[in-house]
Amino acid sequence: MVKITINEKQIEVPEGTTVLRAAETAGIYIPRLCDHKELTPYGGCRLCIVEVEGARVPMASCTLPVNNGMVVRTETESIKKSREFILSMLFSERNHFCPFCQVSGGDCELQNAAYHEEMTHWPIQPGWSDFKVDTTHPYFILDNNRCILCRRCVRACGEMVGNFTLSVAERGAASIIVADTDVPLGESTCIKCGTCVQVCPTGALIDRVSAYQGHDESLEEIKSVCAGCSVGCSIKIMVRNNRIVRIEGDWEGAVNHGLLCEHGRYDPVTESRKRITAPQMRKNGKLEIVSWDEAMSAVASQLMENKNEIAAIASTRLSVETLTAFKELFAEKFQSKHVTSVEEGVPTEVVTRFAQTHEGFEGKLDVLRNADTVMCIGANIHHSHMVAGFMFKRNLSKGTRLITIDPESSELDYMANISLKTQPGSDLALIRGLQAVIVQEGLGRTPLSLPDAGQLIEKAVRATGVSLEELKQTAELLARSISPVILFGKGITAQRDESLIEELHRLAVLVGAVDSERHGLLSIKGESNSLAATLLGMDTTFELNGQKVVYAAVGDDYVSRSLTERASKASYLVVQASYESKLTEQAHVILPVTIWAEQEGHHINLDGRIQTTHKAITAPEHVRENITVLNEIALRTNMTLKSDWQKAILARKSSVTLN
Amino acid sequence: MNKPKIASDWMCGCAGCHMSLLDMDERILQVIELADLRSTPITDLKEPDESGVDVGVLEGGINNSANEEVAHKMRKRAKILVALGDCAVFGGVPAMRNFCGVEAALRQAYMDADSNEPGSQIPNDPELATMTKTRAIHEVVPVDFNVPGCPPDADVIFHVLAELAQGRKPELKNDLLHWH
Repeated sequence: MVKITINEKQIEVPEGTTVLRAAETAGIYIPRLCDHKELTPYGGCRLCIVEVEGARVPMASCTLPVNNGMVVRTETESIKKSREFILSMLFSERNHFCPFCQVSGGDCELQNAAYHEEMTHWPIQPGWSDFKVDTTHPYFILDNNRCILCRRCVRACGEMVGNFTLSVAERGAASIIVADTDVPLGESTCIKCGTCVQVCPTGALIDRVSAYQGHDESLEEIKSVCAGCSVGCSIKIMVRNNRIVRIEGDWEGAVNHGLLCEHGRYDPVTESRKRITAPQMRKNGKLEIVSWDEAMSAVASQLMENKNEIAAIASTRLSVETLTAFKELFAEKFQSKHVTSVEEGVPTEVVTRFAQTHEGFEGKLDVLRNADTVMCIGANIHHSHMVAGFMFKRNLSKGTRLITIDPESSELDYMANISLKTQPGSDLALIRGLQAVIVQEGLGRTPLSLPDAGQLIEKAVRATGVSLEELKQTAELLARSISPVILFGKGITAQRDESLIEELHRLAVLVGAVDSERHGLLSIKGESNSLAATLLGMDTTFELNGQKVVYAAVGDDYVSRSLTERASKASYLVVQASYESKLTEQAHVILPVTIWAEQEGHHINLDGRIQTTHKAITAPEHVRENITVLNEIALRTNMTLKSDWQKAILARKSSVTLN
Repeated sequence: MNKPKIASDWMCGCAGCHMSLLDMDERILQVIELADLRSTPITDLKEPDESGVDVGVLEGGINNSANEEVAHKMRKRAKILVALGDCAVFGGVPAMRNFCGVEAALRQAYMDADSNEPGSQIPNDPELATMTKTRAIHEVVPVDFNVPGCPPDADVIFHVLAELAQGRKPELKNDLLHWH
């Protein structure tokens, strides 16, 4: 611990703390602009200057580590004057005329800093240089005229997201933020995660949807969890007049630490599907709006008449509570042998099957942060589960190595040290081949006997189309790593071959990805409640086998064409959905239900974290909650649902520890 | 009793700051009780007394030779000069034209805009004021108090005038400090 004095206040902080953070712990506010608690200190704006006893000049407190006995003053006359001068320089650099900026009036950190210094004006006038505004991006606008060159966006893009799209071009007063080699943002390598917009202190990066929709203080902020994919990012839903204005990443989020992907941040505010706001029933071949009572009694009588002949399918975006109720209603009460999810267990079933003999064999997402080698096999993490990708992408420039193995190519390949394009269905041969090379070269961390190693290598080369040299390089890179992580996805799980998981696990043990302390093997799964669905046993392929009634609780999910075709074969189709789709077009009864932000519940993410989503907006008048509809069906058929989800998810052994 | 004299005028602004002044409603009577309101653009007397006033208030920035004259006259005749509103303090919205220059702005306004008759010309009557770059008042004459806001709230204007009329320095902070 180091003892320092700030504004005559004695404080003690750990060594290595910056003066700025030390002051924060003592409740002393030092104005700052380029500093952001999730980014490495940069010392660019100089607004955080302080007086240090014995120092010749004022020093930037954001980059200054504490020293024992240091005496710091933050509010002396000369510091205040300097701060005002620095702000005057920032204002006079570009077009900082507040009346026509959407962040003016509370959301601009530059303006707030000037108010903090009680500045009524700035004495230096601008140079009137004009910068082009980049409006090519679908979600935000880059206006360099309002930029103060704090480089928060540049740092966020590189340090946090690992995409390195944004950078600074030109020098001095002509410096501008550019994408890639100064190409329009909309045509750049930007992956549209919007983190840069979230960290921008001024109006230089403007969110297209939420701009001019009200200042933060007029918005209601509801903390929740993204229902997009199984990563389970913490979000803040910003609401005004029962409308979602913007989604922000929650800096306090345990999984994502403030980061979000394009889908999490922008899909909810650019939703274009047509909402279903009243129950509908097919009469004389046409769907007509009916009362809830009429719709529900029709559904109840159909279900009662066709007991034992029902197939039920639910979205994995629904809460665990809803999925549990769904499973109980159809599997137990209506004795249906065909209760599954819209994902049909593709990303999870084989993993859970393997877990029955290897409980908790998967690791936690956090292992990705410290991995020195990541092997992605059958997992296009650039396309789905993006935020999990950020966790290691940002380390690639610091030496973390990436191996991608997939028949299809992806953007991730360009960042990979080794990218193997394998023949479809050759994964088992490849994994065994990798094991064999490691055993043959004596690089294994644990003993493994493979008498036919030579044959396995030969077979791997033949089946995968990968050269022997590539195979050896991959095996050596993996085996020589200190903290390797193996990440697998649908490319592997969709094959539903348990031996694939077994061999991957063996490989992970062999290279030390999995040992008594580390758990560096994980699958990325699918939608937000993929894991819950498989734990509830809702992970079988959906194929009608004489069932007459199909009950599809799809909520706000998208339904694939193939599933729609299969479900439409039923002689009676009930669809519980929020939006119109090809499936609802085929329905005999449509029951309108809430979307993710209109309901509460629990979601279990890919590494077993049980998280709560919160209700942010109120549903349209005739729309009911997913679980309410299920409970009412039970009531109308003289049943009651216990729906004890905490107990229900323990029915099967889980591949990850739940917490 | 000799009440302090206040005069005001407007230059390159939109008159919004003077509208905001009127927004103080019945409190304007309190101001008149405390001070002698002399020339303003919205009363009969149009020029500050030659004998001088105590407080001169100017709205708007300076973008032509006529405004320069108004500013110099007010500065000469007022003991204390107040710049009222964002245009007076920073240049404000009219200063946007500095990014393209006077020539381009005039061409757009009088010739290139779709609403202009074909063949329209930029007026060049020698009696017209000469256009200049748009400037904040403090770039042309010294200013004693800058009161930002677009427009400044009636509360802010009342505070400033009441403080000055009672011989105090007006302080703008917290709720009273807004640039909009």
